[in-house]
Amino acid sequence: MLVSILRLHTVDAAELDAALGARMAEAPELMRDMPVVADLEGLGPVPVPDLLVALEHVRRHGFKLIGIHQGATATEPLAEASGLPLLVLGGKSASEAPAPRAKPAEAAPPEAAAPVPAVHTPTRVVNQPVRSGQQIYARGGDLIVTGAVSAGAEVLADGHIHVYGTLRGRALAGVRGLVSAHIFCRRLDAELVSIGGHYRIAEDIVDGERGENRLVTLSGETIHITEI
Amino acid sequence: MARIVVITSGKGGVGKTTTSAAIATGLALQGRKTAVVDFDVGLRNLDLIMGCERRVVYDFVNVINGDANLRQALIKDKRTDNLFILPASQTRDKEALTTEGVERVLGELAKEFEFVICDSPAGIERGALMASYFADEAIVVTNPEVSSVRDSDRMLGILASKTKKAEQGGGAIPATLLLTRYSPARVDKGEMLSIEDVQDILSIDLLGVIPESQAVLNASNSGVPVVLDEDSDAGQAYLDAVARFLGEERPYRFTTLEKKGFFGRLFGG
Repeated sequence: MLVSILRLHTVDAAELDAALGARMAEAPELMRDMPVVADLEGLGPVPVPDLLVALEHVRRHGFKLIGIHQGATATEPLAEASGLPLLVLGGKSASEAPAPRAKPAEAAPPEAAAPVPAVHTPTRVVNQPVRSGQQIYARGGDLIVTGAVSAGAEVLADGHIHVYGTLRGRALAGVRGLVSAHIFCRRLDAELVSIGGHYRIAEDIVDGERGENRLVTLSGETIHITEI
Repeated sequence: MARIVVITSGKGGVGKTTTSAAIATGLALQGRKTAVVDFDVGLRNLDLIMGCERRVVYDFVNVINGDANLRQALIKDKRTDNLFILPASQTRDKEALTTEGVERVLGELAKEFEFVICDSPAGIERGALMASYFADEAIVVTNPEVSSVRDSDRMLGILASKTKKAEQGGGAIPATLLLTRYSPARVDKGEMLSIEDVQDILSIDLLGVIPESQAVLNASNSGVPVVLDEDSDAGQAYLDAVARFLGEERPYRFTTLEKKGFFGRLFGG
């Protein structure tokens, strides 16, 4: 299963509320009930009751808290009081992991996405055209859209994305860090394509890359668009 | 049971009110008892296009609030039998359109009329949502240019999720496309999207193509729905659209550039 990390930079209620609210508002369908591990390492020493209140804020904003990480500042009392397992995040730290959308670091933006192998979940199939202003997210699996994805629409998946009409909107595959995710489309004329947090905007997609039967892949940090 | 039809677009100024007046009048001309309702509370225009602005006593909001009954507020069209207009209030705002109130008024209209045409305001806020919420079907009015097409696409997404039928799990209401202000000459020059371009993006059935025409402006200025100007290209195109709406098959006219003959070129056609 893929787990995202929510890094807290403050326990100040107002600041935290604003930051969490802003992050949730960015993509409510994607974030709601998203399993997250709260990374408290950056907070330094904070009294346990304050941490509990901060965790409650995280829950109230719709994130599904499944564990906490405290690194060197780990304290058993917090784990006990919160009833959440204390996890040790191995490998690279959360800040090095790709975030779904690169955003300048703000006061307390929780950062997301650390890749862990995924469990197979059924593919989501959408038989309606995805219209401007709509957002469709296939949690934990692949997404198939049999019609077009309009300009101003957004499709996201934890796995691959297939579009059997024209892709004119945004497509974000592997949004929780799966860098091997692909985007397949019958015709590519996208506003943005993203894989595992790396993305290319319309301006960076040259005319030759647009066209019929396209495959979007990620190698290293570069998004490749090729003909299938 | 009546068919409640919303005329909508998202973008303003594309011809929703002109279309509402033309389709409603066209249906009435075919002997179908029709009411046309102005949902643009605060920016009422339909009465001007229908030429009944001097006979408005009560309006839609009065009926919603119970200040008047439907019979008092409905204006009978003087030119066309079977046609009634329910004007919007000019002094109120869209918040006056309560869900219960709109449902009650449309329910009453549905009992008496065969067709209820709802003229939606622009935008995707309360007025537009209320105009489409109880509709059985939609006619999406679009100009052949990118911003209008995108707004129509957005509106189609809303029609698929924010109508009563959709909220009850019935899916999207049927929607057809009416392309207005179409100019084959400008399409030829690449200055305007073609019918195919628009359909490729919106992927819904085409109800009609109304050519860019001086007749539409004349009709608005004189308060006579353009379908009553039977010799005009736009009037005929609207009548074709009404016939298709009622299930007839009609070829599309005014969609290709007519080559001028030798004399036409000599004398400027």
